[in-house]
Amino acid sequence: MKKYLITALLPIFTATASELDELKKQIQQQQEIIQQLQEKVKQLQEQQEVIQQTQEKLKNVDGRDPIEKVLSNPFSQAKFVPDISLILDTSFVSRNLTDDTYRQVNIPGFNHGLFDMHDGHGHMPYNAERGFNLNYAEMYVASTVDPYFDLVGVFHLSENDFEIEEAYFKTRSLPYNLAVKGGKFYSEFGRLNKFHHHVWDFADAPLIYSAVFGEHNLLEKGAQITWLAPTPFFLMLGAEAFQGDNENNFNRTGFTVNTKRDGSGDNVKISDTKKPNLYVLFIKPSFDIGNTSILTGVSYAFGKTRIDHLEDEDPHAFAGDTKILGFEFTAKHLLDSYRYLQLQGEYIYRKTDGSKFAYNNAGNLVTVPLEKKQGGFYVQGIYKFDQRWRVGLRYDLINKNDVIAEGKNQNFSDNLYRYSAMIDFLPSEFSRIRLQYNYDKSLFLGSERKTNHEIILQFNLAIGAHGAHGF
Amino acid sequence: MKVFNILILSVLILLTNAKAQLKIVTTYPYIASITQEIVKDKAKVDFLAVGNLDPHFIVPKPSLAVKLRNADLLIINGAQLEIGWLPPLLDQANNAKIRPSASGFLDLSQYVRLIEKPENVSRAMGDVHPEGNPHFHLDPYNIPILSDVITTKLCKLEPENCSYYQENNKLFKSKWNEKLKQWNSALEKLKGTKVIEYHKLYDYFINRYGLVLSGTVEPLPGIPPTGKHLENLIEIIKTQNVKLIMQDVYHPLKPAQFLNQKTGIKYIVIPHDVGAVPEAKDIFSLFDEIVRRLTSE
Repeated sequence: MKKYLITALLPIFTATASELDELKKQIQQQQEIIQQLQEKVKQLQEQQEVIQQTQEKLKNVDGRDPIEKVLSNPFSQAKFVPDISLILDTSFVSRNLTDDTYRQVNIPGFNHGLFDMHDGHGHMPYNAERGFNLNYAEMYVASTVDPYFDLVGVFHLSENDFEIEEAYFKTRSLPYNLAVKGGKFYSEFGRLNKFHHHVWDFADAPLIYSAVFGEHNLLEKGAQITWLAPTPFFLMLGAEAFQGDNENNFNRTGFTVNTKRDGSGDNVKISDTKKPNLYVLFIKPSFDIGNTSILTGVSYAFGKTRIDHLEDEDPHAFAGDTKILGFEFTAKHLLDSYRYLQLQGEYIYRKTDGSKFAYNNAGNLVTVPLEKKQGGFYVQGIYKFDQRWRVGLRYDLINKNDVIAEGKNQNFSDNLYRYSAMIDFLPSEFSRIRLQYNYDKSLFLGSERKTNHEIILQFNLAIGAHGAHGF
Repeated sequence: MKVFNILILSVLILLTNAKAQLKIVTTYPYIASITQEIVKDKAKVDFLAVGNLDPHFIVPKPSLAVKLRNADLLIINGAQLEIGWLPPLLDQANNAKIRPSASGFLDLSQYVRLIEKPENVSRAMGDVHPEGNPHFHLDPYNIPILSDVITTKLCKLEPENCSYYQENNKLFKSKWNEKLKQWNSALEKLKGTKVIEYHKLYDYFINRYGLVLSGTVEPLPGIPPTGKHLENLIEIIKTQNVKLIMQDVYHPLKPAQFLNQKTGIKYIVIPHDVGAVPEAKDIFSLFDEIVRRLTSE
């Protein structure tokens, strides 16, 4: 019985099934049509909006002939304005040495004082006076030139001076992981040298840096080539050739010295060095161990030396050559997104060889062989313990200071040291307030050591578009 | 001469081998996961930033420049999320192929509709993103758009593998759409729930699923909360009956715990990227985990 019923009903079922299919198809087609219509409506609405906007614009300008009042600025290049930023560094300093003493003290065997004044111009050190200091306002301009070059200009503005601190191009599209830089820029020598003051971890440079290179580090005109080697870890190799501007080590300009102090004798001419005068080589490997990044490196700088201090009260000059070797080590351990521990140290060794020109008591020129072998290091630890807070300690030591004139060691102190501690507060990425204390045992007045206690309250702020900083 | 020929030959073999597999580097792990779904074993995919860190503040370690050095394609999130750490790495990597103007560069933010684009910007507003909120990948509906974009780019770079990539993308999208249905129905019950987040990180997700944002733990983007701001939040939580704090994995938990003590408001740690929590192993399990954590009670 059942069987019959099913056989009888079967055609009806199939009929409904095929009808259902038909219906489904129709619905689908209708849906498609609806979608198309919706899209069309959307397009029309958008067009309508544009028309309305145009009409409104035309309406907004009152007057008889609105078309003439619609402003156009077809040649504006506003979108091509380079990144421009201004960085201000200002400080309040408290120091036990009077400004008068501070101007006269020197690091024995290295320089004639922190205020390096020759040829009428010179560099005031940062935080030069007790009380308020305007260290600088620095102007950054940077942009891509075209598909092939980037251009960076850094203008160091102090109260009465304008200085092109850096102005260089860097290639964007060389093959084989090569890059070339040219112009005036900080050498890649060592770890700290290439960084601008506003990213330093302390308000001043390490002792060995200011003793060897002077207040402006190794800042030179020339060219650089770097290569990222195809190793599984980071390995950067590079070479630089520079004209030779560093007054302490690689000045290129010769001088004329008279055999008599009063100028009545014969002139002896010491010629300029070959130009370019200074060459730098460096190799920098880096690798990670867990959350710790380690960056090390060896740098070597060599060139001829000309020091002309003939206009000084005690006239003297030097001609010879200088070699400087640098070792660096940085380890940064990330605790989380906002906290880290960083240990950083550098050892720098300098060897200078040549002849010193000076006058004896009778006023006659004496030329003596002079050799300097000097070295020292700094080591610093930084702890960023909060999104906005960092503390740091630094130890500076110059422990080799052999200045040998005419085969005789001058016995300058080889225990020049300084302790520094700092805490800084970073309200945002664009501002920093830092309090630093220095206990400095590196300064001498004549043969007397002058202990320097120093407290620096530093404000460093940046506005505008400023590129991110590297590791 | 023979030695020289062998040398040249081996260099050529090396070069052809090197070309054999495309090397893709992405800034964040979620992009790497989507890309992996499309390329399968036809390309090497790597990423730069670890998923459990603040995506704004990645330390530009030299080891990351090594990854970029040999890359054929760099895919970034964009909308200035990488502005604080990627430019120095690109500068260091000396790789012309992946510069923003080159063909081996892809900025995903250019292909999605960004929300919260400010009319005017000033740094007085904190770390604002002038192009809009960059955390668009947390709207699951944006993921297929991104996979389409990545597929198109890969087809441009490797026309010979294009059909393979398109096939994988199609499979990925259909699997994604299946998942979307699950997530949508699971999240249905959260519609209208008032929430607080630490940073404006989950806004795309919040908008998609009809949650209501009542405030952020940080008073301004990138500025940590002050006592006064937290007092205000307590007031808002009480008067507006806010139900939940969506806490990310990288900001401190303390403010959320404080608000919880004062008002009893619940806080849930929500992963924002692949690798943010151990359960978020790829782009699928990332959203699985977000949904699981939000709906588990």
